[in-house]
Amino acid sequence: MIRPIQPIIPVKKLFVITTLAFSLFCHPLLAAVVEYHIQLRNHLFFPSQITIPANKKVKLVIDNQDNTPEEFDSFSLNRDKVIFANNKASIFIGPLEPGKYDFFGEYNPNTARGTVIVEHQKQESPDVN
Amino acid sequence: MLINTVILFLRDALPIFVLVVYLYVHLQASKYWLALCFIVGAFLNLIYINQIHVIGQWFDGRGIELSLWLSQLFVYLLALILGHRLVYSASSYRYFLYWVAGLMVSLTLVSKGSNFILYFDGYLNQNNVLQSMLLGTFLGLGICFSLATLLYLAAKWLKQQLGPWATWSLILVYVTGQLVNSLPLLVQVDFIDESATAWNSQNFVSNEFEFGHLFSVLFGYQASPSIVQVIVYTLALLMPLAIFYWLNLNSTSHSGNKQ
Repeated sequence: MIRPIQPIIPVKKLFVITTLAFSLFCHPLLAAVVEYHIQLRNHLFFPSQITIPANKKVKLVIDNQDNTPEEFDSFSLNRDKVIFANNKASIFIGPLEPGKYDFFGEYNPNTARGTVIVEHQKQESPDVN
Repeated sequence: MLINTVILFLRDALPIFVLVVYLYVHLQASKYWLALCFIVGAFLNLIYINQIHVIGQWFDGRGIELSLWLSQLFVYLLALILGHRLVYSASSYRYFLYWVAGLMVSLTLVSKGSNFILYFDGYLNQNNVLQSMLLGTFLGLGICFSLATLLYLAAKWLKQQLGPWATWSLILVYVTGQLVNSLPLLVQVDFIDESATAWNSQNFVSNEFEFGHLFSVLFGYQASPSIVQVIVYTLALLMPLAIFYWLNLNSTSHSGNKQ
């Protein structure tokens, strides 16, 4: 007589483990974050300065309105992303300590420059994802 | 435009040169192998660039970062295969190792070279940039060739003095650095969380300057690495070294017992 195969890990336990793992590893995917929009026109960032709250993760949405690609680069933020011509790209930054973090367009570093200012804020931006 | 082109070469072309030199010395490869690697790499690069907009849309806009990170991970794993083959050396595996090394070069060409194509493709059509871009290309290539020659001589000397494990260790340090430096790609698309900064040595050797670029290519130097990067770097470097040292000791003692 063939005995039914017993699973090594019970189904309930497996479900709990999977849920825990999902909530741990996919937490960043589900958390709501504040969005900040930057435009790139004529190889210049608009606005060139953005202020974000300290110790919070935020999303930068960069809209490249030029007909050439640009690479958003920042050594202090440790970010590096190509934005295609007439396209948008998103980058998550933070949580960050208060301070100034410079960024630039790698293909036009003389003109495309900007700063992320991180400071303690009481109010949050209304544009929440 | 001149400086941008030179910096782009330092950042994206130098890693290709360094890997090719290390593998060339490590495997005592032929020039045909080198030419074949570049042809396959260039072909894969063209396919990648051709599909980059499609890849970019994968995984909710995270496709490029994921593909670049996976290619670095794959290069790291291939380097481990090279180390494994050093422990269990067999002449029949010689061509297999050429394939492994060729794949490493091709993947690096895809991940690093794609940036070049985007840059040149986007700006070559603009007026008044051709001259400075060409000058930057000559300067950048000159720097890369000079450094590659120095590294070639150093790697060759190390291999003569200490054997193939020395050149493999150089490869391991290089691929570990590249793997760890690609971790921020996962952070910037919110695949993993940002961790606290382990230290800040921007005032000592900044990543913005030439030495920062060079050290970043050679051993993955970061002026302000995160704690996760430091942990991954330590584990990815020390674990294979410890495992292969132990395997090497075991295989030596086994072959000694048989005799």
